[in-house]
Amino acid sequence: MAGNSDKSLLLLIRHSPYGSSLARASIDVALAAAAFDQTVSLLFLGDGVLQLLPDQDTATGGLRNMGKLLASLPLYDIEQVYVDAEAAARYQLDLHGAPVATQALDREAMSRLLSSHDHLLGF
Amino acid sequence: MVLHTLNASPSSAAFEDCLRLIASGDSLLLLGDAVYGAITGTTARQALDNSGAALFVLLDDATVAGVAKRLDGVTLVDMTGFVELTEQCPRQLAWY
Repeated sequence: MAGNSDKSLLLLIRHSPYGSSLARASIDVALAAAAFDQTVSLLFLGDGVLQLLPDQDTATGGLRNMGKLLASLPLYDIEQVYVDAEAAARYQLDLHGAPVATQALDREAMSRLLSSHDHLLGF
Repeated sequence: MVLHTLNASPSSAAFEDCLRLIASGDSLLLLGDAVYGAITGTTARQALDNSGAALFVLLDDATVAGVAKRLDGVTLVDMTGFVELTEQCPRQLAWY
């Protein structure tokens, strides 16, 4: 393995957890990058904040529980998790109950976040 | 400086999310259904103009959509121009 290339990766996650396969794909990418020792940060934006709802229960649907998947991120050293504060407020989402610890950002802070990473991937 | 490529209609969440995260000095290239957002005189166009980004529209997609002559004041780019934009901007982000 080539080791850490010191390039930072930011994933922008914009879609709801079960409406498409994009949510799963984004986490797969995050885990793959982390497995190769890349620095990965996540930004939940717009409808993407809906992935952070507590109490997701997929027992009946045959779906993979996104909340539980997100809760496992710190095990893979993915701890930089950011949230669109405005979208969270729009959905009355209390981030203290989110499956993973997050930092809420306003619009300007999110723009700065984009500029502070080397690679951006939108989902 | 980020090159945002936006491929979603002006009524989509992607369009709205993209506009919220654009910073002054970024470049924005509209393609696919996003070309409708650049039509002169629309509220979407006004929002694009207020974003602070340099605005580009992919010529092929604007032509297909029939809007190429309704895009006053935007820079139309062909595929070569698209590639040149990717060379000028260190980061690129796709919105769809």
